[in-house]
Amino acid sequence: MLELTLQSLFSGVLSGAYYALIALGLALVFGTMRVINLAHGELVLLGAYISYTAEEKLGLDPLASLPLALAVVVATAMVVYYLVSMIKKDRELNSLILTFGIGVILTNAVLMIWSADIHSATTPWYHDATILFDTLFAMQAELVFAALGIILVGAVWWWLEKSWYGRALRAVASNRDAAKLMGVNPQLTEVLSFAVSGLLATVAGVAIYTAKVIQPAMGHHLTVKAFIITVLAGMGSVPGVLLGAVLLGIVESLTVTMASSALQELAGMVLFLVVLLLMPSGLFGRAKRRG
Amino acid sequence: MSNVIKIAAFLAFSYIAVPLAVGSNAYVIGLIVAALTIGGIAVAWALLGNLGGMVSFGHAAFFGVGAYVSALLTLRGGWPVFPAMLVAGLGAAVASVATMPALRLRGPYFALAILAYAEIFRILATEMKPVTGGAAGLLSIPRLPTVLGLDFGSKLGGYFVILTIVVAAMAVYHLIRRSAYGLALKAMHDSEDATRVVGVNSTVLKAWMLVVSAFITGMVGAFNAHYINFLEPDYAFAGQWTTLAIVSAIFGGYRTVTGPLVGAVVVYLVDQLAFKPILPQGHQIVLGVLLGAMILFSPGGLMPLLMAKLSRKEGPAHAA
Repeated sequence: MLELTLQSLFSGVLSGAYYALIALGLALVFGTMRVINLAHGELVLLGAYISYTAEEKLGLDPLASLPLALAVVVATAMVVYYLVSMIKKDRELNSLILTFGIGVILTNAVLMIWSADIHSATTPWYHDATILFDTLFAMQAELVFAALGIILVGAVWWWLEKSWYGRALRAVASNRDAAKLMGVNPQLTEVLSFAVSGLLATVAGVAIYTAKVIQPAMGHHLTVKAFIITVLAGMGSVPGVLLGAVLLGIVESLTVTMASSALQELAGMVLFLVVLLLMPSGLFGRAKRRG
Repeated sequence: MSNVIKIAAFLAFSYIAVPLAVGSNAYVIGLIVAALTIGGIAVAWALLGNLGGMVSFGHAAFFGVGAYVSALLTLRGGWPVFPAMLVAGLGAAVASVATMPALRLRGPYFALAILAYAEIFRILATEMKPVTGGAAGLLSIPRLPTVLGLDFGSKLGGYFVILTIVVAAMAVYHLIRRSAYGLALKAMHDSEDATRVVGVNSTVLKAWMLVVSAFITGMVGAFNAHYINFLEPDYAFAGQWTTLAIVSAIFGGYRTVTGPLVGAVVVYLVDQLAFKPILPQGHQIVLGVLLGAMILFSPGGLMPLLMAKLSRKEGPAHAA
């Protein structure tokens, strides 16, 4: 039982790493634009399918397909940014509906191009098992992408904390007008946040393709998971996002181990509602009213 | 044209002209019934969205709860269908009470919290096998009965039932909007804080809009269950009930009473007749494009846009 629990905790942490990539992108865009991009999970989906095509048609290793996937996903993210920035009135709610519509478009486009079949990476190396400390089992793909995920989240954190652009981005997030007066171009930081969010989504998409299976309907679920994590984290804290992601991963994998895999999604949703209703500023966020 | 004449013309058209014109064509009537089903949800969604100022991504929750309550009451409890449908509305209203803690959240948080509830209800319906039949679903749900020689179980009979539900929903929407509550709700939309200061309890008002909206959606879900005689969790709680309703309401103009219905009929018929044959897979892409285009170019919907064009020709523009 102990071994099972440990294994389940470990799997949860590994999923948490790529959940963190997705959630961080969502939180960045929310920070700068006050827009929840409901098409965010679909960007991940797109990255995953580009990686699939690259492997299937060009024989590229999933990691080698990253630049191609990046180009497509970041370009798509730019289109989403452009459309969202066209909204002038009542942006908070209208952008929610707009990005919801973009999500529907992307999901159905993927469905039309790639059909509803499920796919996963075919390079055998990624699916080989590694045993850590004699007890913990993981696929090599999971380890590679968990490491990559944590490095990327760390890099984004460093970038936000230390670099000029990162500071500009945080400045716009905390007070747009004041940032503008200090010579920060808000549009530029918005574009940047969308680009970085696209980058993180791409890596997450390739990770899911390599370590799990992909299918067109998953984009929507990923958006919801990312949103749950940002609620857990209380928007605007990078370590919080990582912890929230790992927490969601662990809760899900414990539910699968202890109860049934059918309840996996339920566990996340219940966690989400409990935190949302009892701890309005999230587990790690600053006290601040939502909305 | 005065409003009374408009309403009379609408009723005569929908209750007399439509059945006379296409009543014998089962295919067309079937399409219209499906469009009205979406229309019912769209009206309920718009009521919450416009009067309550809240966007919901989880109306499928109320649709599914209504469907299951009515199906189970008639199948297991031996209830007659019409009373069961009313109780189904109440059931959905009760379910909406469970979602009320989400009311203190605003904007996107509320929208997504409701979505979480829809997911939870779907999983519960799948997992509670002894009660709901689980993923296998419920078969042979009683069809709508024959009352006073009128066979509501036929396609045309179903048309009259769903039409009546939708018309009643629009009447309720209209009456609430005209009442003092409607005024308070409108004020709340302009400035919630100011409204609170003059003594309006905005949370209670919002809660009522949620209950009314859930009740209507539950009735529509119950109707659909008895109309198609089959139910499974993935169908009853499917995201399409929410997506189609949102697209319809936005397309028709969710700040008007008639907009959502017109939107539903246009969107559903165009989708089914024009795009489904061309794009058997992924034809919903059209819905996404429509939704995005409306939000960007005419957030008030198509109806107000057309009305404004028309009334500009006739005379001074007035709010639709």
